[in-house]
Amino acid sequence: MSARAAQQPVLWPAFAATGAIACFAYLFLRVEAQWEVAALAVGAVLALLAFGRTRLGAAVGAAWSVRPVPLAWGALLAASVVVALFAEDHFALLLIATVLLYGLACLGLTIQFGYAGVVNFSGAAFFGVGGYTAAVLATHTALPHPLVLAAGGVLAGAIGSLLVLPLLRTRGHYAALITIAFAILFKTFLEVNDALGGPQGLKVPGMRMLGWSFNDNIPLGEQTELSFYLSYAVFSLLLLAGALLLMRRLERSWLGLSLDAVRIDETAAAVFGFEVARWKILAFTLGNVLAGVAGAAYAMMTGFVAPASFTFAESLIMVSIVILGGLGNPVGVLAAAALVLVLPEKLQVIQEYRFLLFSGFVILVLLFRPEGLLPRTLRQYLPGWGRA
Amino acid sequence: MDLSLLGQYVLNGLMLGTIYAMVAVGFTLFFGVLDVIKFSHGDVLMVGAFTGLVAYLGLSALGVQSNALLTLGVMLSAVLLIALLGAALARWLVLPLRGAPPINLLLITLMAGTVLREAIRLFYPAGANPKPFPRLLPADSVSFGALTLRFDSAILIALGLASIVAVHLLVTRTRLGLAIRAVAQDSETAQVVGMNFQRIVLVTFAIGSALAALAGVTAGLYYNEINFGMGLLLGVIGFSAAVVGGLGNLYGAILGGFLFAGLQTLGAVWFAVPAYKDVFAFAVVILVMTWRPTGLIAEQSAERV
Amino acid sequence: MLPRPLRAALCCALLLAAGAVGAKEAVKLVFIGPLTGGVSANGLGGRNAADLAVRLRNADAKARYRYELVALDDECKPNIGVQVATKASSDRSIVAGVTHYCSTVAMATVDVYHRFGLPVVVWGAVLPDITYAHDYAEVHRVNGTMINQNETAARFMTGLKYQRWAVIHDTTDYGKGHNKYFSEYLAKNGGRIVGTFGVTADQQDFSAELTKIKDLKPEVVYFGGITPLGVRIRTQMDKLGVKAVFQGTSGIVSDAYIEGLGPLAEGSLAFREGAPIEKLPGGKLFLEQYNAQKYNDPPEAYGAFAFAAANLVMDAIEKVGPDRKKVRSELNRTRDYQSVVGTITFDDRRQNAVPLITKFVVQDGRWIVWEDSEYANGKRKLIQP
Repeated sequence: MSARAAQQPVLWPAFAATGAIACFAYLFLRVEAQWEVAALAVGAVLALLAFGRTRLGAAVGAAWSVRPVPLAWGALLAASVVVALFAEDHFALLLIATVLLYGLACLGLTIQFGYAGVVNFSGAAFFGVGGYTAAVLATHTALPHPLVLAAGGVLAGAIGSLLVLPLLRTRGHYAALITIAFAILFKTFLEVNDALGGPQGLKVPGMRMLGWSFNDNIPLGEQTELSFYLSYAVFSLLLLAGALLLMRRLERSWLGLSLDAVRIDETAAAVFGFEVARWKILAFTLGNVLAGVAGAAYAMMTGFVAPASFTFAESLIMVSIVILGGLGNPVGVLAAAALVLVLPEKLQVIQEYRFLLFSGFVILVLLFRPEGLLPRTLRQYLPGWGRA
Repeated sequence: MDLSLLGQYVLNGLMLGTIYAMVAVGFTLFFGVLDVIKFSHGDVLMVGAFTGLVAYLGLSALGVQSNALLTLGVMLSAVLLIALLGAALARWLVLPLRGAPPINLLLITLMAGTVLREAIRLFYPAGANPKPFPRLLPADSVSFGALTLRFDSAILIALGLASIVAVHLLVTRTRLGLAIRAVAQDSETAQVVGMNFQRIVLVTFAIGSALAALAGVTAGLYYNEINFGMGLLLGVIGFSAAVVGGLGNLYGAILGGFLFAGLQTLGAVWFAVPAYKDVFAFAVVILVMTWRPTGLIAEQSAERV
Repeated sequence: MLPRPLRAALCCALLLAAGAVGAKEAVKLVFIGPLTGGVSANGLGGRNAADLAVRLRNADAKARYRYELVALDDECKPNIGVQVATKASSDRSIVAGVTHYCSTVAMATVDVYHRFGLPVVVWGAVLPDITYAHDYAEVHRVNGTMINQNETAARFMTGLKYQRWAVIHDTTDYGKGHNKYFSEYLAKNGGRIVGTFGVTADQQDFSAELTKIKDLKPEVVYFGGITPLGVRIRTQMDKLGVKAVFQGTSGIVSDAYIEGLGPLAEGSLAFREGAPIEKLPGGKLFLEQYNAQKYNDPPEAYGAFAFAAANLVMDAIEKVGPDRKKVRSELNRTRDYQSVVGTITFDDRRQNAVPLITKFVVQDGRWIVWEDSEYANGKRKLIQP
């Protein structure tokens, strides 16, 4: 064991993989011709599917598990470079930021569903709670915007706690019904409630942090003007990086172990002395907090919230992203989010058919590859555990 | 509030309750037989309504004039075709996933429902617009004060209740019903005894889906309008009704259906803004689930650990 | 892909060469309207009309540029509208827009157009706030607002001796706006509102509201909302035995209303700004050319306005070139512009004044101008007060 632990894996395959992904992201957002987009998409999916089976894939996995720190910085750098390359392009940056924020919300769903097995069909509702909180607080109070984001998360968690009692008392289908009923209730409530804008929704002021207004274009010299979405994209990137760090620590810790135990077999966990209720509450609340923060940031970026953005169908999209990506695998979730959110925008011909296609796709995944694009890897108790 | 006004509200509630109960019975049948919540049920209902519309258009084009014949044609075609659809969904989507975790089943049926919904929206001509449904039933009415009883409402309520009673009789008094109940109670033993498990399951799904198609045509005949999104809310309401009543129990489904309709009507009367009725009804559903986690008529089952 | 400066240089070289040959630079316009959903008839009519304007302009040899119309669907939902507006505005190759039939969407998107500096001309949304609640120089409107139609409606209906109204309106800004203005003008003209009911825009079942209304015994049911809801309410009024005149707004003046109701539509009233297309100055010519293109859908009530808006925008571009800021300033200065819908002059809030309000009634399955109908000359009667 000690001999294995002493063996340091080579890092360059992992760096190369990060670089390849960054290049792909740049190309994907840049190309316009439809056949090029389709080819890139298909190629990416095939590459991801094959990734796990090759030795290169194993090497990359080993590197990430043993020496994550330099690799993480490398990934952050690569992402920043991609964002910088699109500095003047409004739409590309908007897409990047959307993927990052939806990815953040879906990471919250992964904690609930992938780690603790608590199904949540109202993810979009908690996303919406964060959005509406941002709308109300930013318009009517002078609360600094970082605190507004935090408030969005806290309120989402608080409202989620209303559902905790019914969720704890029910299992399986019944628990699913609770979250579905809540999703519908939330949207209907927003629509009939005039104080929160009714069906017309609310306008949300742009983010201001430390005097820097996120909603103004950034002039760079005389001729060029960087898109104001750049600020949002960078901010979302930092938020997501923080969330990924949090999730990794959570998964590796005894907290994550407890969540997994509860998910795999509730009765056995209870027999072994795990307080099932406590772990479910933790996962559910933490997941909702993440979704709330993401929702608040998204609302400030788009400048608008309306009940029609947070329907049951949107929650289903989030659940599809989590399943498609591979339950419990954060990287898979991000890849799926990118696929589900960006592909319809680039591939205009499928824009109208996107719900149909993605539902069909999920059906195929569930029938033939239920573990998703990037299945969750085996738990690693110690760095290097179980790898050659 | 005078009695006839109250009577009008009761009548409205009865109409809604009948439709919800028909959907809820379907859910309960599927759950009883396969332990599965088929979320595509609401959208199957919607496809049934559209099938009825297409049948009407086809029959009118062929020159059929009589309203009675048209109604019959619409109902029969919807019921038969959707029974096939339900069986097909069971065969290819639900049965293969029998061993998988229940959440996968839930998801696959949800996605199947979305596929049905989007397919109608995209491929039916101008599918995204609400479509007028023909007025085939007699429109005369009789009034008692503020209460207006229209013949078509009466016919539809009677038809809905009759179909539920028919399904109930089928399940409790026939050999097929006996087989269904046997498979629902213990599928392994049923197979050991020689029952064709797959066939029974397909038949059950066919019956449940046929009932949903009838509910869809009923909704179309009552509101004189169908649209591609009508299945989603009806499906969730039907599911809530079935759960609140107690999954697997036919009486519970009927009870749940009328209860939900009653809650909606009550909410519409109580609240100054009638639109809060859905919020009220769903909130009560969540509360009932908290109080009785397996429904009002509780599931009696032992769980093998 | 070549780096940006090199591409720009290449483009310039090509342009110069092209200019020598006579080819024109391509300029993009965006059209946004409800192409799917309950009011898609109006959106498609508007899109076809804008498309017609672009085609006619491209066929004109004297035009300096070649125009391309990008049509986007806002589904009559504010959030989708904001998404497509953002998409169009962030595309720097789109110079100007002809936007929105649904007031709810137009209200939500004004901020987006202002943020990105995209000049737009509204062709079908009637909520006054769209031009009056802010001072964004980017937003213009060629059609009228709901203030005038409700004023005329109140005066006309009280003139017919009706006194008791029940108001149903949808809870979007559009419905609420109608409720506000109609109630105001009705009070001034001596009418009485016995009950007001707000309903959600996608509500299916109105038995609760209509049962209450039946109890209140109004003479007229006023509906502030758009066609799909109007169809449902009118149908269910009949089912529950509510006997009252059905009075709507410009939102129900569409063929889809009559298709959805069949014989029940008979005797419904509505009020709309502007004249029916046949009676507009350029109306006949517009219809001829529209029909020559053989579109799948008719221009509907606001097609002519979309046509006028598209031409207004293209004329501005012809004059000052494809630059958003310049086009915006040029549009702001519009005075006495001759179009198919009459003279367009923008006031200080860039709103065109459309003084004429037409009263419509459904007769034998068609929307007929009141003065031409058999109701006006007494041959047929509405439900009497």
